Amino acid sequence: MLREQIQKFCESEYDFYKREDIVKSSEDFDSNVWKLFAEQGWLSMAFSEDSGGLGFGAIELSILFEEFGKSLVIEPYLATVVLSGSLLDKSSYPHKNELIEQICSGDMHISFAYAEASNSYDYLSVNTSLDSKNVLNGTKTLVLNGGNANKIISTCTDGNELKIVIFDTNTNGVSINSFSTVDGQSCAEISFENVQLDDKNIIASGEEAIELVNKTINLATLCICAEAVGCMESCYTKTLEYTKGREQFGQPISSFQVLQHRMVDMFIESELAKSLLIKAMLEVNNNSEDMTKHVSALKSYIGKAGKISAQDAVQMHGGMGVSEEMMIGHYLKKMISIDALFGNSDFHLKNISN
Amino acid sequence: MDINFSKEDIAFRDEVRDWLANDYPKHVKEKTDSGITISKQDLVDFHKALSKKGWMGYNWPTEYGGTGWSASKLYIFNKELGLAGCPPILPFGVGMVGPVIYTFGNDEQKETFLPDILNFNTWWCQGYSEPGSGSDLASLKTKAVKRNDLDEEYYVVNGAKTWTTLAQNADWIFCLVRTDSSGIKQEGISFLLIDMKSPGIEVKPIITIDGDHEVNTVFFSDVKVPAKNLIGEEGKGWTYAKFLLAHERFGIAAVGSSMRELDRLKKIVNDIDNDDLRKKVGELEVSLSALEITELRLLSELENGGHPGAESSILKIKGTEMQQKISELFVEASGEYALMYPGPHGYGSNDKPAGPDYAANGLSAFLNLRKTSIYGGSNEIQKNILSKFVLGV
Repeated sequence: MLREQIQKFCESEYDFYKREDIVKSSEDFDSNVWKLFAEQGWLSMAFSEDSGGLGFGAIELSILFEEFGKSLVIEPYLATVVLSGSLLDKSSYPHKNELIEQICSGDMHISFAYAEASNSYDYLSVNTSLDSKNVLNGTKTLVLNGGNANKIISTCTDGNELKIVIFDTNTNGVSINSFSTVDGQSCAEISFENVQLDDKNIIASGEEAIELVNKTINLATLCICAEAVGCMESCYTKTLEYTKGREQFGQPISSFQVLQHRMVDMFIESELAKSLLIKAMLEVNNNSEDMTKHVSALKSYIGKAGKISAQDAVQMHGGMGVSEEMMIGHYLKKMISIDALFGNSDFHLKNISN
Repeated sequence: MDINFSKEDIAFRDEVRDWLANDYPKHVKEKTDSGITISKQDLVDFHKALSKKGWMGYNWPTEYGGTGWSASKLYIFNKELGLAGCPPILPFGVGMVGPVIYTFGNDEQKETFLPDILNFNTWWCQGYSEPGSGSDLASLKTKAVKRNDLDEEYYVVNGAKTWTTLAQNADWIFCLVRTDSSGIKQEGISFLLIDMKSPGIEVKPIITIDGDHEVNTVFFSDVKVPAKNLIGEEGKGWTYAKFLLAHERFGIAAVGSSMRELDRLKKIVNDIDNDDLRKKVGELEVSLSALEITELRLLSELENGGHPGAESSILKIKGTEMQQKISELFVEASGEYALMYPGPHGYGSNDKPAGPDYAANGLSAFLNLRKTSIYGGSNEIQKNILSKFVLGV
């Protein structure tokens, strides 16, 4: 039912032209769409009932992202709800409920600053420092939707252990530089210069902080993989549709066997990726011991297969495939951004064998 | 077969290197070396510098002001320019329409057009593909109807050409037009030269997925073209087009520029010390070496009086795949920073993010180069050519 609900929204409220209007506008996303998300309950569905959410989990998030992938939705769901919201939800932070409430109502955007320029996917090795007087210094990079956030959740270290802190983006000493991403979203580089925090800004420390980072990144990775699976299915269906309608040499180009086989390959890869997604989302939903390995298996697979699928889709669309005004080329850009996020294909392949 | 160069060839290579070191415009070199987009004027300056040296007609016989170079010199010239990171020589004038004019044009046409091509006074663009005619080029529909008013003979052209590279800069366009729809489709095609300033021409940009404006759709509505701008005979355009496509093969393997890019990539991969990428770069090096030697073998056949034809499709397929794969590895080497994309012209000077310098350029190249396996006869069409004319099936 959730799937049908999202599909209906994407068809009626979020077609490609609407998406392009948002990309081209001066805003990074559409606040009316975000309100609609809130009204539909999509912003609260992933949070536990204790935190005021609907108590859904990895399965529903995967469905949502798979459908988002098909329509290339660019609203900052990953940044605000998955990365920041679920981190708060899983934490023992005493002020979390009021924050989650504001996320659910659509009134607040929070971005999670997990990456630094030098840590190459090792999000536990952190240079941003928090001294004994709770003064924060450092620079975070690739902060998804950072330019639109009301609050930042950031990893840091006191020299001894990992800490996670939260504070307003307008706090003195915070400077934010926002950039566009290849898939039409935005991310920011954020530097902290003697940002004065106090104890109530600290969400978690030590073991709890490590577990929160790992689980949050793992869940976010699952979500973007689901998005990729949606992209792969659309690449295949849209290419099939296009080749049936495009005539060259007096016949639809779908009648050429070489293209038929390539589309069959796209279909097969899309099905296999979907299988890995189903396995991974069940493991994450059960909070199993092996869940990160299953997510890594999925991420490494879609990193390769998804990119090939999108490249083939572009190729079979010919010149139209490389036109910005056609949707198909944007799937390729989405696949590039998905492979880049949270560890690329090679990185996750090593995670499995380790 | 001889894939080694003669002493004369080596001396020529040194002459090209000498020119690149001293006379290749410095302001263009600085930009291409640091990955900054070059302007229209930079391109003009580069071509004019080649003209000054007498190398603009690299592929032309001496009687028309060309170099008369052997195939091996042509190869060396192209490779060295690629290795030095020069922008590709714009093929539309000197590589495409020029040879058609001196082979099939009349004396007046030769005098009118050839000197301006050699001196790069005119910027040409190519009017082949149409919105409905891509791989099946012969199905083109742009119509030219001959009229005769008083003493004046002219064609009235209506239709549209698309994927027209840099039409926004062009002074002239050479077009395949349909002058007859009655017989088989290849026979009603004519080859027409059209002044881009003619009333009734409209150039509409197509933005590609890298965000750049390189290609266009060119619309013709009741465009009057003097009949003297017809090349050769009416209805023979397809023959001239095929002749031209054979000339388009020059440098299509892009070995020199791929070597340069691969070398740059190798340094980066060693810097970031990534074994996965090292292996992938190694594989590309082997393939590039195989491609280079294959090109040399075809060249040697040509030098010895052979006529390698369809085999050159190997160069198109493998050369474009190589360019695409190298750019893909630049993106992989960028790691997380492949996420950020400022557009085709990079970041402004003040707001660059912390990531590696090559991230934005790598991504821009990756997206831009998707076109190479689509244009110039898609790689699928090249495989059809190989299976039909080489494998004979």
